Amino acid sequence: MSILIIADVKNRTINPSTLEMLSAAKKIAKNNTMPIYILIPFGNIGGDSYCSSEFKTFILDLNIEQYSAHVLVKYISSVIREVNASYIIGMHTPFSIDYIPALSVSINAQCITQIHSLDVAERITVTRGSHAGKLDHHIVINDTPIILTVLPGSFEPYTITDVQTQHITTIHIPEVNKHIYCNFITKDMKDTSLDEADVIVGAGKGIGSRENLSLIYEFAKVFPHSAVAGSRIVCDYGWLPYSKQIGITGKSIAPKVYIACAISGSSQHVAGIKGAKTIIAINKDPCAPIFNVSHYAVVADIFEFIPQFIDFVQNNA
Amino acid sequence: MENKFRILVCVKQVPDANALVYLNDGIPEYDEKTVYVINRYDEYALEEALQLKDCGLTSYIHAVSVGPHRVQKALRRSLEMGVDEAFCIQSDDDRLHNPYVIAQAITQFAQQNYDIIFTGVMSEDAMNQQTGQLIAAMLGYKHATGVTELSLNNTTITITRELDAQESQMYELPIPCVISVQSSIHKPRYPSLSNVLRARKQEIAIIKHDLITSTGKTKSYFTMPQKTTQCQFIEGSISQKVTELYTILHKNAVL
Repeated sequence: MSILIIADVKNRTINPSTLEMLSAAKKIAKNNTMPIYILIPFGNIGGDSYCSSEFKTFILDLNIEQYSAHVLVKYISSVIREVNASYIIGMHTPFSIDYIPALSVSINAQCITQIHSLDVAERITVTRGSHAGKLDHHIVINDTPIILTVLPGSFEPYTITDVQTQHITTIHIPEVNKHIYCNFITKDMKDTSLDEADVIVGAGKGIGSRENLSLIYEFAKVFPHSAVAGSRIVCDYGWLPYSKQIGITGKSIAPKVYIACAISGSSQHVAGIKGAKTIIAINKDPCAPIFNVSHYAVVADIFEFIPQFIDFVQNNA
Repeated sequence: MENKFRILVCVKQVPDANALVYLNDGIPEYDEKTVYVINRYDEYALEEALQLKDCGLTSYIHAVSVGPHRVQKALRRSLEMGVDEAFCIQSDDDRLHNPYVIAQAITQFAQQNYDIIFTGVMSEDAMNQQTGQLIAAMLGYKHATGVTELSLNNTTITITRELDAQESQMYELPIPCVISVQSSIHKPRYPSLSNVLRARKQEIAIIKHDLITSTGKTKSYFTMPQKTTQCQFIEGSISQKVTELYTILHKNAVL
């Protein structure tokens, strides 16, 4: 019985959120009775600092440019068997979700994705959003091995205090098809408005049309250092460019205040707003999941509330 | 290019975004007025298949859906959009299923008949994001998820998949393969009148299937979502709410 964490990758290096999985693993390991292993899927992503006397680290001798879901599944499955892993933990990001569920076929284990919390009692219970975030689904684990993917921002990052590289084992990969070549394309993001803003106003599907965005822009203008962003669907509809998309597949933001306007609050979106100090949600549906992660809730129609708010500020400023 | 491809699109029917769900003795049930639609991401999968058809690259496009009788509506819509044939893997069990069970049912159906299998990147209701990967693993095919661009070569597909707002990956996949498309690919079409009329006359093939609902390895239950923050609901009339929010924002030093 052991726990295997599969490191996540972002910008061709280890995603620091990997440390969040370590916290989840520590919780599962209870009184450190279960050993924890970290698997770094590539040799050239700076995995050397993810090692300590507390756990053993494996690095697959592959380059990130040799990315192939198929190859990773093959070699990670054999590591899982070798360390007799009961809990295999990956990150719920577009990078990792590409191959982690496929492990479940090769090691014959169930995969539970996008968990946001876990409870350790006699048995371990993991929780994920379900029914479009309107319910929580709690899954009691009766049998292992089990594969879990963790929603980013759900656990506090663990701090590795004593980096000790002698605990690293490199796993040699005999031969990888030479035709495998993965090109990484990085868009030049000149737009830094979301990184610099104190207040970000987010628009959701509930704004109804591209024209109604003008109301959101006017609202944002009320605040001195502000920016407008949106949920995935608003970008899919072409109302905002993808550079303004907040969520797992977009940007993660950390402004002083985030104001979600007519955003229901899917877990994919919520994962991108965890860094905001204060979250305010305006939604006419009192049951909108966004209220579960907000500090302040305004149950109101944005078309009624926002114009009145703008008037009020203009008369009181 | 001489090759013509045999294509399957996996379509899930989901409750629309406004659907009310409540717990009846701990079991989730949707309000009887619930409107069911094609999962938004699967519409993009359908569109991608139809784009290939428009270029004359397909020998046929099939759509398949797993679920109770009502999912035929989603298949009818797929026919209206332009797929050639539709198949319903019918199970009377109306609950949300483990993606492994759904993938097994589709895998059994899809055995060797298809060059490319499309799925949406996830479903809007369950958000598991694993059915495509599982089908690929079960069939022994290669796969890619979150695909935002693809171009066909004779025996391979070059795909681009999205990692975040800033970064994507581009590589080649051999055919056969499974592709889970992301919603930033082509915008789904509205059915043409001629296709709607054609689809009306088409039969939807029904395959009876009993889904294995529990493996016994896990047990599960549902609750209303837990609040992760102490959320203060701002009460009162609209103007009271306006004043109160202004005060809060002022205290937070952003106004």
